[in-house]
Amino acid sequence: MSFNAEQEINRLWRGLHGAQDEIGRTYYRWRQAALEAAGPDAKPLDVSLRAAEIMGTEIGKAFLPRLNWLKGEEAWLMNLAKSYAGNWINHGAIVKLEKGENPFEVLIKWERCPWPTFAKEYGAEMEEDVLCCDRILQSILKDVNVFFDVNYKIETLKAIPRGDGECLRRLYKD
Amino acid sequence: MGKLLFEWDYSSYPGARRYPHLFKPIELGNLTIPNRIKYAATEDNLNGRDGFVTDAGVAYLRERAKGVVGGICTMQGVYMDEKRQGQGYVGQAAAWHDKFIPGLKRLADAIHEQRAVACCQLMHCGRVGAVEVDYCQGPSDVPQRLRIFRPVREMIKADIKQCIKEHVEATERLLKAGFDIVEISGIVGYLLSNFVSGYTNRRTDEYGGDIRGRMRFLVELIQEVKKVCGDVPLGIRLCAEELLDDVGGNTPEESMISYEMAEEAGVDFFSVTAGWQESIVPVISRDVPMGSWIHLAKRAKEHVKVPVQMAYRLFRPDLPNKAIGEGHLDFWEMCRSMIADPLMPKKVLEGREEDIRHCVACNLCLARLFRDAPMTCYINPVCAHETDPQFIDPRPAEEEKNIMIVGGGPAGLECAYVAARRGHEVHVYEKREELGGTLIEASQAPYGDEELFNCIEYQKAQCEKAGVTFHLGTEVTEELIQDELPDTVVLATGPVYSKGKGAGFDGENVVNVLDVLSGKATVGDKVVVWGNRKPGIGVALFLAKQGKKVTIVGKDRSAGFDVNPSFKWRYMIYLRQNGVTAYNDCDIEEIKGDEVMVRTYDGYRFPVECDSVVATEREANDSLKDAVQAEGIELFVIGDALVPRNLSSAVHDGYRIGIRV
Repeated sequence: MSFNAEQEINRLWRGLHGAQDEIGRTYYRWRQAALEAAGPDAKPLDVSLRAAEIMGTEIGKAFLPRLNWLKGEEAWLMNLAKSYAGNWINHGAIVKLEKGENPFEVLIKWERCPWPTFAKEYGAEMEEDVLCCDRILQSILKDVNVFFDVNYKIETLKAIPRGDGECLRRLYKD
Repeated sequence: MGKLLFEWDYSSYPGARRYPHLFKPIELGNLTIPNRIKYAATEDNLNGRDGFVTDAGVAYLRERAKGVVGGICTMQGVYMDEKRQGQGYVGQAAAWHDKFIPGLKRLADAIHEQRAVACCQLMHCGRVGAVEVDYCQGPSDVPQRLRIFRPVREMIKADIKQCIKEHVEATERLLKAGFDIVEISGIVGYLLSNFVSGYTNRRTDEYGGDIRGRMRFLVELIQEVKKVCGDVPLGIRLCAEELLDDVGGNTPEESMISYEMAEEAGVDFFSVTAGWQESIVPVISRDVPMGSWIHLAKRAKEHVKVPVQMAYRLFRPDLPNKAIGEGHLDFWEMCRSMIADPLMPKKVLEGREEDIRHCVACNLCLARLFRDAPMTCYINPVCAHETDPQFIDPRPAEEEKNIMIVGGGPAGLECAYVAARRGHEVHVYEKREELGGTLIEASQAPYGDEELFNCIEYQKAQCEKAGVTFHLGTEVTEELIQDELPDTVVLATGPVYSKGKGAGFDGENVVNVLDVLSGKATVGDKVVVWGNRKPGIGVALFLAKQGKKVTIVGKDRSAGFDVNPSFKWRYMIYLRQNGVTAYNDCDIEEIKGDEVMVRTYDGYRFPVECDSVVATEREANDSLKDAVQAEGIELFVIGDALVPRNLSSAVHDGYRIGIRV
C-alpha cells in the first residue's frame, strides 16, 4: 500500500487552485456577457453592484441555518465573521479575524485576495472591485439582521485595490 | 348532553374493555362524540391543482373515516384565497368560492357514510405557503431559514382584515357542505402561528409587540369565525411549544398565554402541537421516543378548560388511554399512524392489534408533500391508491397457484399474505430459523430502528391468518425447486453483500454488517464502514455508540442517499454527534492490517487507520434465477434481491407482486 502524501497533497492543491481560478474567471466572463447584453449605455459599475447584491443576498441566506444564537451573541458574532472569512478563503484569500475593542465588534483582515488580480486581468476598475466587495458584505447582513432581529454593520477601513496592502473591515453592532 | 350524530355501542368490543378511556363519550361544544378518536387534518396532495376535490381525495378520507369508528375525521386544511397566497401544497383543497362546495360536500358525506363526525380545517400556510405564487405572506418579512420556501411579504392591515373575511366565508361554505366541526390551523409555521410567534412577528402596530399583541389577529379571527359557527364546535390546532429558542421563538409561558386567549375568544377545543418546520430539534421522527410530548398536553390542560387533543408520536393505544385516564389528554389524534393503517383505531376496538400496520415514523409522507408529490406511505402500499380496486381490495386469483416464496423478509412476507388472501397456496421458505430477513439485524441500529421490526410482526400475523405455510430453517436449492415444482417462484432472498475489488477484502478483519449488528462478529476500536447508504449509517452509529472510532467510506455523493430528506438530516446530526467521519464519493482501494487506502472519485488517495472493515455494500441476488427459469416456472424477483434499496421498496414490491401473481 504505497502512499506518497506529498504527491497526493500536491495533486489536491493543484485541483483546488484550478477551481479557485475558475470561480474568478467565470464571474468576469459573465460580467462581460451581462455588459454586452445590457448595451453600450450600461455602466459597468451599476451592473457589477447589482450582481454583488444578488450574490450577497444569496450568501446571507446560506448563513442563516449555520448561525446559532443559543451560543450567545459574542459567539454568534464570531461565527458570522468566520462565515464571512470562509467564503473568501474558499476563493483563495487569506483572511484573519481579530476581536475589536468593543464587545460586539470583529475586525476581518484580508492579507491576500485573488479578486483584484482578476479585476486587473479582465480590465475592471480597481474601485469597482472594492465597491463590489462592500456591496456583497453588506447584502449578506441584510437577511442576517432581520432574521436574528439585530443591527450589525460592516465598514471598509482599508482595501488592497486602493493600495493599502490589506483589506480591513470592521463588523460591529450599531 | 350534546347532540349525538351517530349512535355507537362499544360495550361488546374487546378494545373498549382494554382501553376504556379511548372509547367513552365526551362533550365537544354542542356535540357528544362517542369516543376519543380523531383523524387529524393531513395534507395528501391528492386534489386537483385548481383546488377541487378529487375521487382520490374522497376515497383516501373515506378509509380514514371508517377507521375512527364513530370518532372525528378531519379533512385536510383548505386554503381560502383566490390569489393562492395561503396555499401550502399543490394538491390542497380550496374553499375560496362557492364552486368548491359540491366537492367539499363529497368529503363530508364520505365521513358521514361511515357514521363518523366530519371536521374541516381552515389553513392559511403563511410563511411556508404560496406554492403557486412567488412570495408568501407573514406578519413581518423575516427571511426563511429553509430555502425551499418563498420570500415573505409583510401583511398590511387590509391584508389582515381580508384574511379574516376569507376565513369567515370559507367557514360558511364548509358548513354548507355539511361539516360538523370547524378547526383553525395555527401550527408549524402556518400564518396564524407566524403572528403568534415572537420569531416571525416583529410588527410594531397593534398586531405585534408582546404575546397579547401578537395574539390579536388570532383572537379577532376566532371571534369572527365563531359568529358563523354558531353552535358548531370550533377548535384550533395551536403550538404549545415552538422549539424555536435559537431564533427568539415563544417561551412555553407565552404559548400557554396564547392558549388562554384563544379559549377566551371562543374555541371549544385545542389540538396541541410542538415544533415548527423550521425547528432544529426532532419532534416526530423515529428517534423521538413515543409519548415524549404528552407533557405538553398536560400543561395545556392546566391552562384551559375545554378538551385537549394531541397526536405527536402516540402510535400505541396504551399511551393515549393512560394519558386520558390520568386527565392529561382528552382525545387521541392520529395523522401518520392512520396514513400507515387507516383502520388502526378500528382494529384497536376490535381487539385485533396484531393486524395493525404500524407507522415507522420515517416522515417520507412529509418529504413527498414538500416536494409537490402525492401522498405515499413508506410502509403502506395501499395509501393513496384507495380508488384502485386492485390495490384496496385485490381480486381473488383466477387460477389458484402453488407459490414458493424464497425468503422470509419484508418483501417475501408481504407478497405471501397478499397472494394467500387471493386464494393461492403459498409456502415461504426461510433458511434461518426465524422470520424477518435482514430486518432482524437492521432493527438493532440505534435511534428508534427497533420500530422497523413491527413491520415483520404485522406481516407474520397476516401470513398466519391467510394460511401461509412457513418452512423455517430450509434453504432453497435447485433440487428443492425441482422436487416441489411450484407454479410460481418469488425470489425475495435479500441482497448479496458485495466484495470490494481492491486487495485485502478477503482478510479476516473484513466483516459483514449483519454479523456486526447481530453480535456474531467483533470489531476493533477503529472501524471503517464500507458503504454510505442506510445500512452503513446504521452500523456506523451502532458501533460509534459503543465508543468506537468509526469512519464511513462510501461511493455516493452524500451519505444517506437512500434515506428520505425528512429523516436524513437526523442521521447527519447523529453522525456528527457521535464523531463519525464520512468520506463520500470515495471507495476503498486496498485493505491492510491496520489501515485502508481510500480513493476519491477523481483519483486522490489517502490512508485511514483501522482495525476492522464492515462491508455494507450490496448488489442484486441472482442465485436460483437460472434454476427457476430452466424449469419453465413463472418467476418474480422482489425486494433487495431485485435491486438493493430499503424496507419501503421491499414492502411495496411484495404487495404489488402479491396482487398481480
